[in-house]
Amino acid sequence: MNEIGGAPLFFLEFGDIVIYFTPFTLTLFILALVFTVFVLVSRPERQIDIAFGGDAYYAKEISLSELRFRRFMSIACGLACMGAMVTGDVFDFTLFVSLVGICNVGIVAAVKSRHVQNAAYQYGLVALAGTVPMFSAAAMIAATTGTLSMLELAKGMILIPVAAKALLVLGVMGEGMAPFYAAKAEMFRAPGAPYVIMCSLSSLLIFLRVAEVILLL
Amino acid sequence: MWNEYSIGLAAAFACALIGFLALVWERDDLHKLLLIDLVETASLAVIALIGTDLSEALILPGLVVGIAELLALSQIYLTKEGYQHHPVTRLNIEVMMRSPAPVIISAILVVYGIILSGFTGGGIAGLGIVFLLMSRSFSGDFHALEMASGISWALWVAAFFVFMFAPQWWYMALMGAAIGILLKVIAKMSLVGAMWGEPE
Repeated sequence: MNEIGGAPLFFLEFGDIVIYFTPFTLTLFILALVFTVFVLVSRPERQIDIAFGGDAYYAKEISLSELRFRRFMSIACGLACMGAMVTGDVFDFTLFVSLVGICNVGIVAAVKSRHVQNAAYQYGLVALAGTVPMFSAAAMIAATTGTLSMLELAKGMILIPVAAKALLVLGVMGEGMAPFYAAKAEMFRAPGAPYVIMCSLSSLLIFLRVAEVILLL
Repeated sequence: MWNEYSIGLAAAFACALIGFLALVWERDDLHKLLLIDLVETASLAVIALIGTDLSEALILPGLVVGIAELLALSQIYLTKEGYQHHPVTRLNIEVMMRSPAPVIISAILVVYGIILSGFTGGGIAGLGIVFLLMSRSFSGDFHALEMASGISWALWVAAFFVFMFAPQWWYMALMGAAIGILLKVIAKMSLVGAMWGEPE
């Protein structure tokens, strides 16, 4: 087996869907877990705006319902990340990645500001378009090799078309675009600091994992 | 080189490409959303090209993820554009008042769906109930329906655990899963039908 992430430490089998931990995926899994716990326990930052031309400032209020929704979305995002890190099935991986995409849209879209919502909508369109190459890639891998299990594919018995790998990367790029939208100035006008971090972190993690998957196949 | 699979793949990707080209030129946000949904269908076609039982099992989650993103984005679109509650009266397809046609059509669909069973049957029976609820302005309490949906889903999951841990009981698990998914899809689709419009 092509051990790109180190020797597998532990296998968890659900029928033919095998979850496995290598030193590489275990590290990413723990990182996702730690940040999910941070999101769970942290309180949102209250953004301070300074009134122009005076000494006054005011803190933005975040309504409880908005806070709850964004926290829920961040935790769901963390769970989806953890799933994407350790799954040993190509189709499950694509599903978890698209779940990360949906959660990122949700984290951003809960902010009741027109500009933020516009950015979230555009990102959502890209994420939705990203599912097309991603699912196509998984389907092509299943059709050409007859299996979706990464452990089987890693044996390198059958060649996977380069097009399928390229489409997989393209799809993950589409889903993981959140930080680029978060980099828009409008995003940082959005209050609620710990939650936006989850967008960036999840994208970083799924990019690291997809690199491993591509090298493994 | 050009076997059936390659031709099908080429056709599906050609469809996706046409959709993406339309997306490049489209400026209206709502139309963009609709076009992306269209492109999504091409990816389902690629999954369907696997042509085994596996493709059916993969289309289902693919479709669910697509619909979830579509629902989330349409909700964002509504808030973004500031659209508020639009009261919708009942779907007016009847020529005569109080004609029994919707009841008969729904009954046929429900019975046929129960005969089919499984996910497809659930879809068809659910469609029948959606149709009935849409053509009658029905307002009621949906707690029972939601509970039925939840319980049947639990039945479905329990059946899968039987598959995993006690494979010798596979026939019972198969029946449980089929009935569970039938009830679940019927209940879920009826809820969708009831959400069509609020009574004025």
